[in-house]
Amino acid sequence: MRELKSSGFAWILFGMLVIAGSSLFFIPAFIIRPFRYQSARALGLALLTREYAAFWTVIALCGTVALAVWQWKRVRRWQRLWLAAGVLLMAGSTVMARMNYFEWMFHPVAQPGFEAVTQAKLDAGEMILAVSVGRDARAYPIREMAYHHIVNDVVGGLPVTVTY
Amino acid sequence: MGGRVLHFYLAGINNQNFLMRDRETGTWWQQISGKAIYGPMKGASLELAPFDELSFGLWKKESHDGQVLAAVGRDQKKYDSKWEEEVAKLPVPVSFPGTALKSRDVVIGLVSAGEARAYPLDTILKQSPIEDRLGGRPVVLVAGPDGKSVRTFLSRIEDKDIELFRKSGSEDFALVDAEGGEWNFKGCAVSGPETGKCMPELAGIKDYWFDWRNYHADTTVYRR
Repeated sequence: MRELKSSGFAWILFGMLVIAGSSLFFIPAFIIRPFRYQSARALGLALLTREYAAFWTVIALCGTVALAVWQWKRVRRWQRLWLAAGVLLMAGSTVMARMNYFEWMFHPVAQPGFEAVTQAKLDAGEMILAVSVGRDARAYPIREMAYHHIVNDVVGGLPVTVTY
Repeated sequence: MGGRVLHFYLAGINNQNFLMRDRETGTWWQQISGKAIYGPMKGASLELAPFDELSFGLWKKESHDGQVLAAVGRDQKKYDSKWEEEVAKLPVPVSFPGTALKSRDVVIGLVSAGEARAYPLDTILKQSPIEDRLGGRPVVLVAGPDGKSVRTFLSRIEDKDIELFRKSGSEDFALVDAEGGEWNFKGCAVSGPETGKCMPELAGIKDYWFDWRNYHADTTVYRR
């Protein structure tokens, strides 16, 4: 039985594609994370990488899958684990490069609802953000804003975005 | 912007402020500055709307017909009434040792005619009203009757500088001017020669020292 020979070159290419491809997700995710100082330059790099990631992760994924398929019969059983791991990592990075996980942590307010000040059950000492335009006066409790972070609204005809 | 309404969503964290994107163009904006930093609208600036950060009780007295944002049903449990204490425990992404204040000291940050200054909140609450000159203009920072809300005003009406003092014996920070006229927390005179006139409100921002200092490298600090 003729044994197919695995290619060292294919392994190197596979490894490079997995590393480069998954970096497209990990670099921005690493830079844009809590408790880490972001300089303007680092942030610019992160956003640039993120812009290209959606497309190039797919390319890298196709490449790694093709190489894995080609190598599959040519390598030993235990080496197939590496191929599978590489493809999985690349697939995960491809998916995550398209996800906005910040909105998983802090659900957005789809459509802000309001209640009259007489009905609102807030303590007198609770802090709010107050915006008034013309005769339209609105309060955004900080307790709520500290979770949702952003509310798009229209106050007295003026479109505003309340942020905290 | 330019006649077009933008709708924003949370897209990233940014030195403990955040990044947002608009659905209409996908541009990335910085919350702290309102500036577009990446994408089709890069370089554009959102206008800061006049706003107040104050206690519900005070606001309720001022706005009888007001409306309050309702809680979002499924997220209500995640709202944390102790958020400020929780956040105070978190590490800061950048600190400025050797500067006048500690990282998590709360200040009211004010910019007037290009000059930036941080007013420690504790100082304002103890010494209200605080009169100062910033960027060549007279400013006054006042604590509200609740002992926690702060407003900042340009203490000048029609070229006349208004000098404000704490009404003697007042426990709720009531204000009087040099002629004995009384002023309320909205910055309006309710008695005396200036009755009916109001001082223009300035955009003071309540912030942590580390954050204010990070975005205003040449800020000064109010010292009494």
